[in-house]
Amino acid sequence: MPRVYRRQRIWLARFVRRYPLGAAAGIAILGLTALAGLANQLAPYDPLANDFGTMFAAPDARHWFGTDAFGRDVLSRVLYGARTALLVGFAASLVGATIGGIVGVAAAYFGGTTDLIIQRLADIMISFPIIILALAIVAILGSGTFNLIAAIALSFVPRIELVVRASALSVRETTYVEAARAIGARHWRIVFRHMVPNVTAPYLVMLTAFLGQAILLEASLSFLGLGVNEPTPAWGLMLSGAAVEFVQRAPWMAVFPGLAITFTVLAFNVLGDSLRDALDPRLRT
Amino acid sequence: MHGSHAPGRRPELRIVAVLVTGLLLWLLSAPLGAQQPRTGGTLTFIVSAEPPSFDAHREVTFALIHPARPHYNLLVKFDPLNYPKVVPDLAESWTISPDGTTYTFKIRRGVRFHDGSVLTSRDIKASYDKIIFPKGDVISVRQGAYTMVAAVEAPDPTTVVFRLKWKSPSFLQDVASPWNWIYKADIIEKDPHWYERNIMGTGPFKFVEYVRGSHWVGVRNEDYWVKGRPYLDGYRAVFIGNAAAQVNAIKSGQALVEFRGFSPPQRDDVVRTLGSGATVQESGWLCNNTVVFNSRHRPFDDARFRKALSLAIDRWGGSTALSQIAFVGPVGGLLRPEGPFATPPAELEKLAGYGRDIAAARAEAKKLLAEAGVPEGFEFNLLNRNVEMPYRYVAVFLIDQWRQIGLKVNHVVKETGPYLADERAGNFDAAVDFNCDFYDDPDLQLVKFLSVELPNGSVNGLNYGGYIDRTLDRLYDEQSRTEDATRRITVVRQYEKRLLDEKVWQIYVLWWKRIIPHSTKLHGYKVGPSHYLEDLQDVWISE
Amino acid sequence: MARYLTHRLLLMIPTLLVVAVIIFVLVRVIPGDIVELRLVSGGSFVTASVIEAERARLGLNKPIWRQFVDWMSGLPRFDLGTSMWTAAPIAKEIALRFQLSLQLAIMSTLIAVTLALPLGIAAAVRRGTWVDHVVQILSVAGLATPSFWLGILLLLFLLSNFHWLPPLTFTPLWVNPKANLLQLIWPALAVGYRYSAVTTRMTRSAMLEVLQEDYVRTAWAKGLAQRVIVIRHALRNAMLPVVTVIGLEFAFLIGGLVVTEQVFNLNGIGKLFVDAIARRDYTMIQGLLLLVATVYIVVNFLIELLYVWLDPRVSYG
Repeated sequence: MPRVYRRQRIWLARFVRRYPLGAAAGIAILGLTALAGLANQLAPYDPLANDFGTMFAAPDARHWFGTDAFGRDVLSRVLYGARTALLVGFAASLVGATIGGIVGVAAAYFGGTTDLIIQRLADIMISFPIIILALAIVAILGSGTFNLIAAIALSFVPRIELVVRASALSVRETTYVEAARAIGARHWRIVFRHMVPNVTAPYLVMLTAFLGQAILLEASLSFLGLGVNEPTPAWGLMLSGAAVEFVQRAPWMAVFPGLAITFTVLAFNVLGDSLRDALDPRLRT
Repeated sequence: MHGSHAPGRRPELRIVAVLVTGLLLWLLSAPLGAQQPRTGGTLTFIVSAEPPSFDAHREVTFALIHPARPHYNLLVKFDPLNYPKVVPDLAESWTISPDGTTYTFKIRRGVRFHDGSVLTSRDIKASYDKIIFPKGDVISVRQGAYTMVAAVEAPDPTTVVFRLKWKSPSFLQDVASPWNWIYKADIIEKDPHWYERNIMGTGPFKFVEYVRGSHWVGVRNEDYWVKGRPYLDGYRAVFIGNAAAQVNAIKSGQALVEFRGFSPPQRDDVVRTLGSGATVQESGWLCNNTVVFNSRHRPFDDARFRKALSLAIDRWGGSTALSQIAFVGPVGGLLRPEGPFATPPAELEKLAGYGRDIAAARAEAKKLLAEAGVPEGFEFNLLNRNVEMPYRYVAVFLIDQWRQIGLKVNHVVKETGPYLADERAGNFDAAVDFNCDFYDDPDLQLVKFLSVELPNGSVNGLNYGGYIDRTLDRLYDEQSRTEDATRRITVVRQYEKRLLDEKVWQIYVLWWKRIIPHSTKLHGYKVGPSHYLEDLQDVWISE
Repeated sequence: MARYLTHRLLLMIPTLLVVAVIIFVLVRVIPGDIVELRLVSGGSFVTASVIEAERARLGLNKPIWRQFVDWMSGLPRFDLGTSMWTAAPIAKEIALRFQLSLQLAIMSTLIAVTLALPLGIAAAVRRGTWVDHVVQILSVAGLATPSFWLGILLLLFLLSNFHWLPPLTFTPLWVNPKANLLQLIWPALAVGYRYSAVTTRMTRSAMLEVLQEDYVRTAWAKGLAQRVIVIRHALRNAMLPVVTVIGLEFAFLIGGLVVTEQVFNLNGIGKLFVDAIARRDYTMIQGLLLLVATVYIVVNFLIELLYVWLDPRVSYG
């Protein structure tokens, strides 16, 4: 086994020992990802197929989670919904964290006017609550899964940028960056060799922290009719409209997607907390 | 009763007959719980949207009618208990000249505005002039419905005369429009925009306050011209947008009714909670969902493809299923089922997509797809507006129906603004559209489907499909000028067959169903086919 | 010190100006047209000339720069223009909702702080015990549960158990305190739970950090009563990040409760914002975004003042 991997394995073993809850959350997320990936194998029904013969069927042996207003199997939709949730969660936080990370490093590295302008813009964007920002962006882009990801990612950017910039700033003045500059190394080389490794920890921590947020935002926007569109199976969408209207007649329609959201976000948050403690305890998210 | 004498022959017998009949009716009805209308009490009802301005001449939303219509009167109105009969309101009677181009209305004496001034024919003329001949920057959205009017005259304080350029069989209904509130002439002359921000009419209730986003309050007009009306001391309209919150308000008894219409689950929820304390009234609704095909896009330019899309829809099965979850239901063609112009079911079933044998229809649809050269798994976009009820339900249903003939449909949901913009710009393949109106007349119901450019050069801005069909244009004019009712219906049927079966430019999915679950405390209210026709003059509540 | 604060205050002006510019541009990029929405969405037929006339009346046919100048010239006088939807002054429309939003924010903050400080401190002091675990689970769950979802369950609970629901319309506190509180306590609870979760976590981690510092350990060694150490030394210093979180959450609550206000049918800033977006009421969206940004900037300034007051070590020369 190559040495690099061994080092990571040791780190992982220590993480599991020191943060059993975080490790459990990690496993839960892996399990969830597997469920999502295998949804087409596991789901007992087609998540889109309307069946007007079994509308509002209560949970039983045929439909474990019952059926919804269109006779669609709720279990199948929850399973496929995991795909949407993970897609929106990962894509939005990955894109948001990456853009935020790049901008943050750039601001820290170049400093001066570049930094000043970026900081002013980030300050201004931060002065709007995330949901307001996302709402405004969705209004501009329109709803739908892809636009939703873009809206959520963009609203994360300034928040992540600030944290990454702060970490990058602390390395900027270190002697080895100055030395690299002195010998005339190229910008990108300095950035990638010296600064990027130092902002990896905050980057990862922010990424996990915003994963849960992205899933919650998706639920909120879908509740307002501005998120994922029917008939795509998505938890937030399953919670909106009919689920609330029918909550007394068919509570399973709202209970299971609601639990799925809470469980998933919980897992991401716990993992995020443990990762933060392990990687960069000074960060507060 | 009295031998062979007909009661009408002798006045005293007639009086006796009336008294006896009245007594019998009273004896029969009293034990069944018919109560005397009670005067007093405040009615709290829900309004699910909010009005922009207060001027009905320029607005199009029921959200203005429901809270503000009780402050006003119309010239004539639809009978709230007997649609589509037109009954007097501010006009106590009217005559129509033999050639049908002069309508003379006699105005009631002694009607007072809320500021104490007396209503005269001048006020009626000023109000109608504002609607038909708006001046300057005054907006009148229904100006186009009165193109037949040449002039409105007020020869004396109690007479208003409408002179028409041509005979129009439905003009009386046009005048009964629930939007044509009568304003005060002096005010309109001073400031034609005054009524956008203020309320001052002759109606049964005076305006008290409107807190935006929250509620609207009206109080009894003690000097109302109908004696003994209104029954209510006042009303409070509460604005609640969220469907679950609306149901909660009725279930908790904080509001007694919502006058637009609830969905079946909302109804069931209310009934389950209130039990015998709830009454449910249902009616057909003068609203429907259609699908517009963009004939500028391939393969939507091919009638065979469009017909296949209509054939694939199981309207009868969908009606049964969707009517349990959304306020849609009745299967119909261009005119409202149950309405005076409705196509009888036997005839309807002959149209594409209205047959009872869905398997056969889908087989035919697949054949047509093959003929049109549309491959299995063909993908297209369905534009929809982000309104939950019933658009979302209709779209989910359609997508599933089209999936069953091997088509893949992407649901593109947009907010109302961009949705309208896309429709207008032709930026869609197929779009879920809707129509809503206050009466069944074919003139009104069919106008939307005329060619995008009319023979006279004008543009039909509501034809989002972008097609030109001179046969439709010709049939429309023909039905509009046909006096004989039977003959007119025949022409309307031809129009329907042309639009829905031969060319399939647009299709009807389902008509809507109006469901009003309310507290049993509410009386004097009868649900009608239009949610624009509500007024609170005769409504009362028991305690 | 005074000079620093004046400087900070003055700096708010250019920031807000840039915010205003960005907002103006942002709003114009939103597709959809208020005139079409208002006149066509009912499904009736409207001629193109009517639509043009209405655009002119709303000033939408003026060049963009002209509209911008019109808007900006009103700002120094706190004139935000009139709503394109209702024609009422924006300031009046906002003032109507602000009272409710502000009160809800204050109530939620009170609930959150009352819960968060004792729980956070207890968890930090008894780190690793069951107390800590319970508090942590409660707060992580609070962050994971959508508050609008909690609100729906809360209403369902009230309705099925008491056949009662909070009043439909807002009554100011001084008019009828009972009706007022009966309406707002429920959303305050739903929101306050999430809010307290955030604050608890911050209190705990800030306390943990401070408890490890030398001077606290020294105090500990000196044998003073544990409570005195914690309250007098640790808490005071741990309050800095906690206050920051409370302040930022508070700023968020003014306008950020877009979903919760729908569920509880509250006539607040968040609902107004959602409505304004749906109606494409440009002037209203502008006014609201500016308000939300201003609240945030002002709250940040206040947090800085608190820093000075709480931490004598922080000095601004």
